[in-house]
Amino acid sequence: MKKKPAKAAAKAKAKPPAKLAPVAKSAKKPPARRSPDVAKADPALFDPLTPGEVADALRTLTEDRRVTAMAKVGRYRVICAEPLVVKPPHWMAGHRLARIVAYDYAADRAVDATVDLDAGVVAHLDVNTSQPMLSRDEEMLAIEIAMTDSRVSEKLHMGEAPQAMLHYWGRVPGDLSFARRSAAVVFGRADGHASIVAVVDLLDQAVTQVVPAELW
Amino acid sequence: MSNVIEEAGWKFHWRLTESAGIMVYLADYKGRRVLWEGSLPYITVDHQRETLDPKDDPGEIHGPWWVPLGTRTIQGPVRVQSFRGGVELSATFVAGPYQYTQLWRFHDDGRLSPWVTIYGPGVHDQHTYHPHFRFDFDLDGARDDAFERFEEGRWQRVDSEGWFPYSGEADEAGNVWRQVDFGSGASINIRPHQWDDAEVFAIRYHDGEWAPYSPRAGAGTQPFPAAYVGAEALDGEDVTLWYVAHVHFDQSFPYTAGPWIRIEGLAS
Repeated sequence: MKKKPAKAAAKAKAKPPAKLAPVAKSAKKPPARRSPDVAKADPALFDPLTPGEVADALRTLTEDRRVTAMAKVGRYRVICAEPLVVKPPHWMAGHRLARIVAYDYAADRAVDATVDLDAGVVAHLDVNTSQPMLSRDEEMLAIEIAMTDSRVSEKLHMGEAPQAMLHYWGRVPGDLSFARRSAAVVFGRADGHASIVAVVDLLDQAVTQVVPAELW
Repeated sequence: MSNVIEEAGWKFHWRLTESAGIMVYLADYKGRRVLWEGSLPYITVDHQRETLDPKDDPGEIHGPWWVPLGTRTIQGPVRVQSFRGGVELSATFVAGPYQYTQLWRFHDDGRLSPWVTIYGPGVHDQHTYHPHFRFDFDLDGARDDAFERFEEGRWQRVDSEGWFPYSGEADEAGNVWRQVDFGSGASINIRPHQWDDAEVFAIRYHDGEWAPYSPRAGAGTQPFPAAYVGAEALDGEDVTLWYVAHVHFDQSFPYTAGPWIRIEGLAS
């Protein structure tokens, strides 16, 4: 594959500041601390959550006092519910765990919880400013908002429809999507040709940018 | 279909995730634990502008975007197929103009190929893919590991977490990074694709510390996995590796990104 200047530029943008660890010149071997228990892990703990386990985990989470405000207001979206498996010697090793990630629109925060399904408790709760992926509901909402915006509809040609919904964030602070939960809806033809990109602010439920695909 | 496969000297489990493609977990080679969990958490895409004059180039005015590879984007089933000398898993994911085929190939000589083939036109030609692979190798146990990179003509130990780009140096087999188990002396050797423009983030393992649902750590902050990098010691600990490729779209697509991984020194 040919290398292009753009590749180097993109790479430079993508890289974090160098955080190279100091390199030891001598490969000194530390004392061994064996931990063979990972070889005895139960594969069933990795199995996808059943619908009942998902419901159980969500009930447990929304009843937790720490997220009362989120549950009471109800402006949240469940992003994902997947099994989580921790290694020994962690005290939760061997427990059936569910990791629930939700987005709390009222507080503009992500909620990342680990629910111990064996014990019926929220074992870990982290509320942070990260932006998890879009839920299916949010994808559908983004399409609906974009489709009803006149700036989008007047640019669409016959046969053009939403092709993809992507989790998007702006690169510069002046861009609304830099800090706000946003989606990009790509419109185009069924043959894969993209025509328009609409950026949707999911907090205000409004289209903030309409850009011809070739200028994106 | 059973999600445990025993073939070609390997025994491993797999499942389709919501966002990180096919996850392989509890993988053993010749009866010894090699991998706790491996996946493809995200492929971000960013765009450049096509201009001949640097003065007119506004740079990247738009940020990156991504779509989860998982249950909502998979096309057809996860395929399990034997090939001469091994067995592979594959699945195709489609999101409009972006198309990916994720592969996990297990060879009977101890090689492991977690790859992704990228194709589809994108919204225009000037865009770059950044596939992020995550590997939690537990070579013969979770701890007692070290991370090394090939530099200045020899393997050198890395003391603490960090970001380690491919500098162009590699051992005679093309390996650039490796994870070594003290107890057994076995190693996981990682050889990047020549055109991947690859880098590895080596991070100390913490339970639950990964971002399965986003590369976005917060406004104005480093994305994951860079956001995980601190100053924690790696020597003798449980280490997690992220392999990140940077692949610019051009007419030579489709392109298959991802490392060659070889397990060496595991006596049966």
